[in-house]
Amino acid sequence: MFEWLAYDFMKRAVVATSVLSVSIAPVGAFLVLRRLSLAGEAMAHAIVPGIVIAFVAFGLSVMSMITGGMIAGVLVALGTSLLARRTLIREDASLASLYLIALALGIFILSAAGSAIPLKSFLFGSALGIGDDTLVLIGLTATITLISFAIILRPLIAATFDPLFFESQSSHSGLVHQWFMFLLVLNLLAAFKSLGTLMAVGLMILPATAARYWVSTVTHYLMLTFGFALLSCWVGLILSFYLSDVPTGPAIVLVAGGLFFFSLIFAPLGLFRGRIVRK
Amino acid sequence: MFEARTITLGYNGQTLIDPFDFSLKAGQVTAVIGHNGAGKSTLARTVLGLQPPLSGQLYWTRGKPSHIAYIGQSNDLDHQFPMRVRDVVAMGVWRDLGFWSAIDSARSGRISEALARTGLAGMANRPLYECSSGQLQRCFFARAIAQDAPVLLLDEPFTAIDQKTEARLYEIIGEWREEGRAVLIILHDISSVLTLSDHCLLLGAGKAIFGETDQIITAENLVSFEYMTEKQAQFLTLSKKGGAGNV
Repeated sequence: MFEWLAYDFMKRAVVATSVLSVSIAPVGAFLVLRRLSLAGEAMAHAIVPGIVIAFVAFGLSVMSMITGGMIAGVLVALGTSLLARRTLIREDASLASLYLIALALGIFILSAAGSAIPLKSFLFGSALGIGDDTLVLIGLTATITLISFAIILRPLIAATFDPLFFESQSSHSGLVHQWFMFLLVLNLLAAFKSLGTLMAVGLMILPATAARYWVSTVTHYLMLTFGFALLSCWVGLILSFYLSDVPTGPAIVLVAGGLFFFSLIFAPLGLFRGRIVRK
Repeated sequence: MFEARTITLGYNGQTLIDPFDFSLKAGQVTAVIGHNGAGKSTLARTVLGLQPPLSGQLYWTRGKPSHIAYIGQSNDLDHQFPMRVRDVVAMGVWRDLGFWSAIDSARSGRISEALARTGLAGMANRPLYECSSGQLQRCFFARAIAQDAPVLLLDEPFTAIDQKTEARLYEIIGEWREEGRAVLIILHDISSVLTLSDHCLLLGAGKAIFGETDQIITAENLVSFEYMTEKQAQFLTLSKKGGAGNV
């Protein structure tokens, strides 16, 4: 039953995705609460050209990947904000436009440069081929994320639930949003190697949306989101191990998708809830 | 407590309201009223310190208060947010606690008292999505009570609530006045202005006028500041005791 744990690459994958779940769950939970799920999806694609250019120029190192991804993420975030403020299109449309261009550009450069890394691995990840540097990146990301949440949890809850109340209480209100967006990009980069650019945001959003149907306090929400993310990773890895042609990224995200539909149907606040009046 | 001297409000260098004076006093309720787009929310942001005036000066005569309690329009918020009633009220003491400290017994008592004063003690552990609009607004009043702030700013707090709840919230505002707090309240209804406020700031047509409520809320001013048409004003009766009404 546990023969899959006899393999070193599976042990690494379990450790990496488990730590990733701890880190990615609170980011996903607040993306959902802040109604930024699509922005998360867009950001995951937006960082691609940065990663690709860094990869083509400096080779496959964690440092170059982080630097390139961060620069691309910041540029797209600034560009989106500028377009939304200065032109008539709104933020969602400007974000969608920029990330589609960014994703296409990334894949174009990757193909044109004749990369040794297959496109499939870039898009869907390879949780079963995680090296030491990626493990360190995931560990550092989780550490930074958890320490950050310990510091900004109260401000983040207040800023998410009642932004003007929070602004009236704090002189650093913009900083909380910016730090949260930094954590988003950092976690997407940490998840990039194992889940790929297309699937990373799936592990962020789906456990969070599934958990939302069960709970009515933020603490329980964060705990259940983590539980669902962890379960998705473990079951997804086992599926991927036994079904040899299935890449791990889609397997993990599909399990998370199954949890979402299960919650939608059976959770007390799901499809058949009786008491909530939609606003 | 607070004085604004010849301030001009606006955005991006564009003047929205010509220079005007107004003040907030301890133990008094000051109402702000005006037509849509007159600059009420801009004024609120200015008092909160989130948007500086284009010109003029703001003075806190007893020193800037450590915090201002703010109650916004509950319609703008996510009623499905995963919090209990007590958690929302507890947000009122977070500022004192910093990032990590747990809520101590004194502050816990303050939260319970706030819940009791707003009639929410029985539903402290109920999730937010079970609250009606009126209960939610009482919840925000309870949060403001828990904040124990010397200045309170309320932005149209009676939107979409029933008359019984409104009457209870009037009582709480009266209690704040008796406790010596300064209350600035943005309203859209003349009856509420006449019933609640000691002073009034009327905004409209790019200008502002401030003074005692009885002197500011006149048919002439309401027409001149484009709050209502002359025809509407002909049918208006105004009295401090009975509020406003149509003949």
